[in-house]
Amino acid sequence: MIKPGRKRQEIIGNLRLICKEPLLLVSILAIFYFLLTFVVSPIYMVIKTSLIVDKQFDLSNYLAIFSKRYYFQPFLNSMILGICTASTGTLLGFAFAYAITRTPIPFKRFFRLTATFPIISPPFVVALAAILLFGRSGSLTPIVKIIIGEYSIYGLGGLVLVETIAYGPIAFLVLYGVLQAIDPALEEAAMDLGASRAKVFSTVTVPLAIPGIASAWLLVFIESMADFGNPMIISGDFRVLSVQAFLQITGMYDLSRGSTLAILLLTPTVTAFFLQKYWVARKSYVTVTGRPTGATIKGLEWYVKLPAYATCLLFTAIIFLFYGMVIYGSFQKLWGVDATLTLKNYVEMFQVGKDYIFDSLTLSTLATPITGIVGMFVAFLVIRKKFIGRGLMEFVSMLTFAVPGTVVGIGYILAFNQRSVLFPFVLTGTAWIITTLLIFRNMPVGIRSGIAALQQIDPSIEEASTDLGADSNKTFRKITLPMIAPAFFSGLAFSFVKAMTAISAIIFVVSGRWNLITVAILGFVDNSQYAQAAAMSLLLISIVLVALGIIQVMVGRIGKGARTVSIVG
Amino acid sequence: MKRAIFTSLLVAVFVLSVFATGQTAKKVLHIYDAFDTAEAKYYIDAFEKETGIDVEFVRMSSGEVLARVEAEAANPQASVWHAGSNTSHINAASKGLLAPYKPKTDFKLTGKLRAEDWAWTGFYSGAIGFVSNTNLLKEKGVKAPSSWDDLLNPAFAKNVAMAYPYTSGTAYTTYATLIQMLGLEKALDWWEKFDKQSIFQYTKSGTGCIPMAGLGEVTVGIAFSHDILAKGVNKGYPVVMTFPEEGTGYEIGGLSLIKGGPEPELGKKFIDWCYTVRAQNLFQKYNRLPVNPKATVGKGSLTLDQVKLIDYNHIWAGTNKKKFIKAWRDRIGK
Repeated sequence: MIKPGRKRQEIIGNLRLICKEPLLLVSILAIFYFLLTFVVSPIYMVIKTSLIVDKQFDLSNYLAIFSKRYYFQPFLNSMILGICTASTGTLLGFAFAYAITRTPIPFKRFFRLTATFPIISPPFVVALAAILLFGRSGSLTPIVKIIIGEYSIYGLGGLVLVETIAYGPIAFLVLYGVLQAIDPALEEAAMDLGASRAKVFSTVTVPLAIPGIASAWLLVFIESMADFGNPMIISGDFRVLSVQAFLQITGMYDLSRGSTLAILLLTPTVTAFFLQKYWVARKSYVTVTGRPTGATIKGLEWYVKLPAYATCLLFTAIIFLFYGMVIYGSFQKLWGVDATLTLKNYVEMFQVGKDYIFDSLTLSTLATPITGIVGMFVAFLVIRKKFIGRGLMEFVSMLTFAVPGTVVGIGYILAFNQRSVLFPFVLTGTAWIITTLLIFRNMPVGIRSGIAALQQIDPSIEEASTDLGADSNKTFRKITLPMIAPAFFSGLAFSFVKAMTAISAIIFVVSGRWNLITVAILGFVDNSQYAQAAAMSLLLISIVLVALGIIQVMVGRIGKGARTVSIVG
Repeated sequence: MKRAIFTSLLVAVFVLSVFATGQTAKKVLHIYDAFDTAEAKYYIDAFEKETGIDVEFVRMSSGEVLARVEAEAANPQASVWHAGSNTSHINAASKGLLAPYKPKTDFKLTGKLRAEDWAWTGFYSGAIGFVSNTNLLKEKGVKAPSSWDDLLNPAFAKNVAMAYPYTSGTAYTTYATLIQMLGLEKALDWWEKFDKQSIFQYTKSGTGCIPMAGLGEVTVGIAFSHDILAKGVNKGYPVVMTFPEEGTGYEIGGLSLIKGGPEPELGKKFIDWCYTVRAQNLFQKYNRLPVNPKATVGKGSLTLDQVKLIDYNHIWAGTNKKKFIKAWRDRIGK
């Protein structure tokens, strides 16, 4: 326990330090201002709108939601969907991670690449492919019908399938990190002491990985609850909250009740985020020993290898099947009716879509460096500096990860379609509402890569610089910055991918002047123009791949031996 | 140089607020458009070419336009609301969001085609019809539906698609048509049966069910005739269009000037242009029915006098929308 007196002294000391560096103080205040304006106030507006009916405080929105089946059912559906997807996704991720970290499976690099591929493509492309393959007139439908009889891809089953493919890779990345950090020597020791394989797995491997498994589960749960693109395409009559909130606002022009549905969506995701961050993450058993780990276990039995290998092969086959189908579909004349191959879809796509492509590229390119710089700066303040409100700053800036895009999108239209005390400009309809949304929505990526990078630098190096007479600015510029550059660029790469593939929040703030590829693709799907949608999705994926390549080259130039940084979890 | 990093950071962060103030000064007409992007672009390009006026348009569903216009009432961002079922325009007019304007036309806009005070005017029309997949009809050995009750035929079990009445003007017109013919209670009774037996799924947009029928995802869809022709028949899908013999409802496409919009004069020019024979002739491409009697009707399009129509009351349907939608959701539960 720190005595109150000492604590006060510490605070005064902190204050004095900050006052010595007025520029630091100004930047802290600036960051707080932007967080307040672009993160907190939109969420506050959603809450406020849900509680106000006809300009008066009123709980009727919430009463309606709990008394009407058509509001409550989507909530239950979203929860069921989240739980199912989180479970299957985690299972898939674990099997995949186990195969790559523990078994001597060949082509590890290749499998790891395919497993992470859905992360860099817009998530709803998976749903698009599922319809092309398994819809009522899908390419594989006749075969599947012979095997399992009548079925419909539209609904819970189809949704769980596509979301598992889209978000399972997140679980994989988390569990890959966790399993890699658990020394296989522990498992081998248990084997040497005479435990059976099953016993080692159930009493050593799994217990050690449990915090990781829980983390992965909660993260996939959040992604699945907040997912908008896939349910929009493939949910059929299985109505989920994110889509219902969108329809309530755009179909019934009911901002007040739409906000209430959004709050209903926000509650479970934020809860899951808290559990993940403050409870599960603290239970981590992983210790970094400095010894190289990740060595595979020798002499694994077939009944361990078989399911692990099978998962790897099956999932990789599915990825190839789904994305291959998108390529094939993009060349068909009239998808589902006339399968003649043609380039017409690409021509049409460029005619209708070139503005979207230009807008997406411009706005993402504009937002990405700002996300990176602000994120890195916040990480630097949070990790290296002591000031009042540091914890708050970290919390608020990570908050956007847990808040579903639907909530953020609604918040932005509510907060920025009029002047306010915080922000005296109307942003609705401009490019800036999209850019700011992209910046602050992807901020956790920038911060996370910043934190990861800074944790790798011993503070004593920076202290040495300060002792030698350099002030904060100079130390940051000359010492910290060059050391964190590689992580900075991998953060940039990922925030660019996120910006290009964003949909759930963006769909509320696009305008005719500024529109994005993802929204255009969803429009094509809505009109069942699957071939054009496929062509445009491929174009989007190609752009992302090219951009990733460019950033890779830049990283290669700047920091030799750069390490990529885990971007989720 | 010493403070370079901090200064550049601050500049980077402040750049947003600086640019937000940079408003464009040149004269451009801003339009909210409820046509699909490609179709909207087709008309607007023609307008720009003919008049030399620059247009920036935002494509949204009519529901979105209404929400946007309402939210921006204090500071309207667009001058014209182009297209969308007139029920939404009626709704907006009742909220005082529109500026009455009597367009200069070379023909008379009759009572059905305009608001009494000219808050909105109609510039095309189309009737509700059924779109059916001919292959599936043959497979099932049934005829395309030719009455509302045909939709309850067990042959169409879980094989009919249409939009949610609360997200689409098309579906709402269908629903309001049934209410007008049967009365609210009976219409809901009918719909409950229809929903349980025949509906495969509801879509978000009114036209979504047409390619679904074309692709064989469902046998029957319910949509506007011009959309069925443009997005079904003319695209090469194996579909056929039919109408209910008891009579059907129809839509009037609305056009209005937004109250307090930034460019009222350009907006009026655009509205006038929409009624010229040349502009109305452009509807042939999308099979909409022109209101200007001198304009040419697209090949294959049915004119409204070829279909049995009910005396559809748009004003009543528009003003009662909230009540009817609530009744629908309470009963159907979706």
